[in-house]
Amino acid sequence: MTALQRWLLRAAVVLAIAALTHLLVLWALPRLVMQRVLDGVQADPGHFRSGVMLPPRADATQRRIVLPSPDLLYALCRFDVSDKPLRVRAAPGRSEGREGSAGGNLGYWSVALYAANTDNFYVLNDRQAAGRPLDLVIVPPGSGAVNAAPTAAVVRAPSARGLVLMRVLVAGSDAAALEAAEATRRSLRCEAG
Amino acid sequence: MRRFLTASLLLAVGIALGLASAWWAVKRLDGLAAAAAGGPWRTSTLAGSSSADLHTRAAVAVGGLLALSRKETQYFVARHDSAGAPLRSRCRYRVSGAPPAARWWSVTAYADDLFLFDGVEGRHSLGSSTLALDPARRFAFVSGPSAPQPSGALPWLPTPGDRGLVLVLRLYQPEATASNELPLIEALEACR
Repeated sequence: MTALQRWLLRAAVVLAIAALTHLLVLWALPRLVMQRVLDGVQADPGHFRSGVMLPPRADATQRRIVLPSPDLLYALCRFDVSDKPLRVRAAPGRSEGREGSAGGNLGYWSVALYAANTDNFYVLNDRQAAGRPLDLVIVPPGSGAVNAAPTAAVVRAPSARGLVLMRVLVAGSDAAALEAAEATRRSLRCEAG
Repeated sequence: MRRFLTASLLLAVGIALGLASAWWAVKRLDGLAAAAAGGPWRTSTLAGSSSADLHTRAAVAVGGLLALSRKETQYFVARHDSAGAPLRSRCRYRVSGAPPAARWWSVTAYADDLFLFDGVEGRHSLGSSTLALDPARRFAFVSGPSAPQPSGALPWLPTPGDRGLVLVLRLYQPEATASNELPLIEALEACR
């Protein structure tokens, strides 16, 4: 092997290692970030109610995620459907309640499902729900026919583990707006189904 | 021994190159794009995009984790006023415009570390449910370290201290035309 050939070989090896590292980092990064979020949902026992985490409304003391929204209340639960499906239910207050102040349109909420690689694979908002309660069964990828309750919509998750995130708008600065949002997020249930 | 050293060196250089290029790729995609209406507002067109490729997904995980799709919510970030001067919390700004065409919208004040201000008694944001419109159907409010005088002249978004200021406009369920006209941010007096 000539000196030139030796250097070309070395350059090729370096490039191959670089390409592999590049792809590995990009593949692993979202999964690691999501794992940290899921660990956080488990590790915070202060704000739990029957498996659902109800973090306090964002203020200056919330310094974990940048740009926290003070307009929203959240309810979260993790899912792991490798053994059995998860039934997700919520009965939010009716959204038509108090519309119209300053052109505002009150009562927004949404429930979003995120896979272990951070992909948002499902979202339902109050308009789509149209006053009906939310009733989902999350099943693992590749599962066959599902024996779910007839009222529940079956959602096939792309990964066995992931996150359920409910957002509820606090539509106003008065106590009644906060109370309504609080009641809506407390209606979220995540139970083995 | 020499072969081993060479192999280790090649491995180290390869890994370093891979890490650097991955970092560069994520940061490049993470950049905020100018909003359609121009002006000081910037928006991320990536946040909440689904079925993303490897690069997009990594960038979203770093810059816009757990965001919703742009049909559900849109975020606009301003670090400068409409004249191009950097926003400071001790300066007073008049924020005004037509209400964005969205189901619900708000403007939130953040310090330059992207966290909420302390000591503002829960007054972190103003928006469609807290702002009244004038007869021309436009809104206006004042941000600054102290309430506008005479009190009640315009609604007040408190920004205490002397540090960089970041305003974030959030649109919930925006219409297609929502970003055609975004609010003006005008310094009320010369302020550096």
